Amino acid sequence: MKDLKHLIYFENLLQDAQNELVDQAKAAGQYALGYNCYYIPEVLLNLPGCFSSRLRAPRCTSTDIAGYYMTNRSCPYARSILERAIEGGYNYLDALFGAESCATMDRMESHFFLINPVKNDRFFVTQVDPPMKGDSINLEYYKVQLRVKVLEPLKERLGVDVSDEAIRTAVEKHNRLCRVITEIGSLRKLPNPPITGYEFHVIQLVSQVCPHDLILPYLEETLEELKTREPEEKFPFRARVVLVGSEVDDPDFTKLIETCGAMVVADRYCFGSFPSREQIEIQEGETAFEAVCRTYLKWNQCARFMDGGKIDQRHDEVERLVKEFGADGIIYENMKFCEFWSYEKVLASNIFINERHIPTCTIEKEYALGAVGQLRTRFQAFIESLEIKQIQGGK
Amino acid sequence: MKKFMKAFLKVLGKILLIGLIGFVATFTLYITNGENKLIYYVVRPFLNKHYDSQVRDRRI
Amino acid sequence: MKLLDKIIAPVDKALERFDPVKKSEKGTGGLRDRYYDKTGVAKWREWRGVKDTMVDYAAWLNNILAMGQMVASAPIPILKGFWEYRWMGSYLGTFMFIDRLFEGFRGPELKIAHMNMHAIVQSLTKRIAFALKNDARFGGGPDTLNIIPYDETISPLWLMGFKGLYPFPMQTLPEFIICDIDQHIEPYYIDVAESFGLPADVCSRCAAETGVAIDDAFVKAGRVMLSTNMPCNASESTSMFQRRRIGLPDFAVTLAMQHNKPEALPYSRATLEAGIKFVEEHYGVKYDWNEFFKYARLINEQNTIELEKWEYFKTPYSALCGIAETLYRLYEWQSVNGAEPHFNRNDRKVIKIMRKCYEEKHQPFGGKTRHRAFLWGPSSVYYCDFPTWIQNCWGINIVLNMDSTMGYNMINTDDPDKAMDDLTKLEEKATMRHHAVGGWDNYNAVWDWAKRFNCDMVLMNDNIACNGTLGFHALMEEQARDLGFHFIFVEHDLQDSRTISRQEMRNCVNKYMSVVLNETPLDPTLVEFDDADAY
Repeated sequence: MKDLKHLIYFENLLQDAQNELVDQAKAAGQYALGYNCYYIPEVLLNLPGCFSSRLRAPRCTSTDIAGYYMTNRSCPYARSILERAIEGGYNYLDALFGAESCATMDRMESHFFLINPVKNDRFFVTQVDPPMKGDSINLEYYKVQLRVKVLEPLKERLGVDVSDEAIRTAVEKHNRLCRVITEIGSLRKLPNPPITGYEFHVIQLVSQVCPHDLILPYLEETLEELKTREPEEKFPFRARVVLVGSEVDDPDFTKLIETCGAMVVADRYCFGSFPSREQIEIQEGETAFEAVCRTYLKWNQCARFMDGGKIDQRHDEVERLVKEFGADGIIYENMKFCEFWSYEKVLASNIFINERHIPTCTIEKEYALGAVGQLRTRFQAFIESLEIKQIQGGK
Repeated sequence: MKKFMKAFLKVLGKILLIGLIGFVATFTLYITNGENKLIYYVVRPFLNKHYDSQVRDRRI
Repeated sequence: MKLLDKIIAPVDKALERFDPVKKSEKGTGGLRDRYYDKTGVAKWREWRGVKDTMVDYAAWLNNILAMGQMVASAPIPILKGFWEYRWMGSYLGTFMFIDRLFEGFRGPELKIAHMNMHAIVQSLTKRIAFALKNDARFGGGPDTLNIIPYDETISPLWLMGFKGLYPFPMQTLPEFIICDIDQHIEPYYIDVAESFGLPADVCSRCAAETGVAIDDAFVKAGRVMLSTNMPCNASESTSMFQRRRIGLPDFAVTLAMQHNKPEALPYSRATLEAGIKFVEEHYGVKYDWNEFFKYARLINEQNTIELEKWEYFKTPYSALCGIAETLYRLYEWQSVNGAEPHFNRNDRKVIKIMRKCYEEKHQPFGGKTRHRAFLWGPSSVYYCDFPTWIQNCWGINIVLNMDSTMGYNMINTDDPDKAMDDLTKLEEKATMRHHAVGGWDNYNAVWDWAKRFNCDMVLMNDNIACNGTLGFHALMEEQARDLGFHFIFVEHDLQDSRTISRQEMRNCVNKYMSVVLNETPLDPTLVEFDDADAY
């Protein structure tokens, strides 16, 4: 396939958290608001005069100082973010909106106010107590949390307009971006898609780490380009897989799977587009803020949800993706030391293999892709088994 | 009265004797740590052998 | 009494050479002398002088009696339980466990320790008999469907308003208590979970619970199960497995993590209320506030006495300390929580002895305490009899454990609305989650607790798989330095003693005491010994 016009530009934007678009927005006087987790609705960080920045630590290969603070036995994503913060990589941030979604995340975010690694006088941190069930009690708690820990600090500390009108405007802009990404992502449903999993991963990531106003024109142009892009003559992969799990913010991980022969047709992991690019519909009699909370709680697929409805939803959603995107199998990954996904991958792989009869492979990974030999072997073996299954007619 | 006292003393004596024997027996078991030795060296190995041979319905 | 003392004094003198504490004082031996290597099996029981040996002997008999009553109350189910459940076999180690815990104890501290332990033994034996008698696996019993199985980290008080129903902590028998008694039982269940693909780097306690579920080793009873998000991430995750394998309708009691924030209370309260409604619907029993108040009064009394105990803990004259304090408070709060009146009776007796000891300025352990420590320690503390060992070996008195600081607010006993708020506050501050979740302030509170209790040392059990502790590792060390506390991280792998052995745990203390503080042990036989095969 012909290279995408902006792919290299996008790849460059992913080389640093403080990329050129972030600099542009900051120069224009906008507030940079960091977050780590889907529990913090991106749309609320894109109110007038602000832009969201989902934190990544690209090219972070050593976490010596963060290891001192958090030991080397804690989640490498959290450690890498802290390391990058200590290195000064997030000095552009005006605030960090954290979530006690897991213990390590809580600890890492706490260091942002305990050791003050972000050198910005305005900088502050809040942490929400995220709900663990999908019922109305938890929805109410979610609303309270987001109001107290996100909206109120934005208004009081940064003077941001958090009125219903402002949130409605942010929702409209957010929906526009979501429509573009969803349309691009849906191309992966085609038998021979004009986009690879890697390319989509890059596109999805830039949409999370760059100011929306600035990245959107590039994304819209890319969508138009993709509409007429000629795919390879023949589907170049031997299998199609859905990638599911915890933090994956390195597109090279997707590339690794694809170089082993399987296209990643759907991305259901933290930083992926399922969930994150669902549009927010404001229903009658509902404020924009309420619609945001309801939508985010509805689509949230975090492995920490405990009620039966949400647990089943997690698995149903993956099955839906497998069917809609024509996948042959599922790869479940978890970041090393991530307890939620360690458990979830065991449960889910059992459900998918034994009850829903969808081939599933589980792996554990580091944050930085270093020695990938073992992973490559695992992927190759899995893909081979999918191929054999195809040859045998799915038996 | 004398007869009653005699019978009473006899019963008391028996109770004391049984108590003494009971005390000596249990205190000996106690001080020699007998029950723990029995459990550690005999009962638990036997039970563990049984548990290891169980076929359990292991599934998620 | 004084006459008796006069009579036994020469006997004690004559038999002093068998007393390991005296031997260690004279440098002729110590507490470890009487063990067979590795096994933890003692060649003979500890000679503590006539009076204390008799106290210990009587307590032993008393505990045997409680166990005998347990077997007599349900002989067939008990036998079936022994045959069916691997964890039941481990309860045979109870006597050895008690012996280990109270090694070196003398006088009032021994007496109180046994009173507390006997209350636990009584409660546990009754609970085991009740559970097995009603275990559906063995055909069930009259109360099989009246049992409410709940996650052990929820306290049972809020369920006591259901007259005729019996709250039953599911994990307590196969995992929570038994891992303290036998360090070799949970590795079996951990291996079961890992054989299904669970990584070895998750918290071993939750891995063990998962293994119990997969191995189908929970008692079967009840109509629903109540899981919870307490205390941590892994316990939330293991609930998914238990929910699935147990197969009963499930209600997750998810209480606020940031429980010190004002917005937490309404949420947690609403969750508890929904839980009550859930039980009402499934059991057809209406919640009875008067019944609840009856038990709330008991927990209020327990907490009132506990707060008085704390005043003594702050002084050098507390006859209750170390393992006798921490294990009892943990069990009384978490597993009983007002539900068993005999704990109140025990508390009343214990506090009387404590008052007397304080008045008489009685110093525990012969006044050999060198340091007063606040402990942050879970299960591994018990199976390695850590507080006892550290007192006997280094003279470090464990004044209070974090487990003892759980909810101590009083519950309103006449207004359901106010009572619900109080109950929620109590529940939110359950085992471990009181300090371990909800952010830095809760975690950092350890120093205030240590200060309040006049401690010069903080011992923090560092579970190598606990993300909560690992995440604040360096900051805690820095805090200790800044605030002037002696501070030791004691590495452990909670319920998996294969990863970090008991000796390795003890070595963390040995190194600090000898290298940093340059102190010599009170009992050199306790510094290094192999007890890897001990229960």
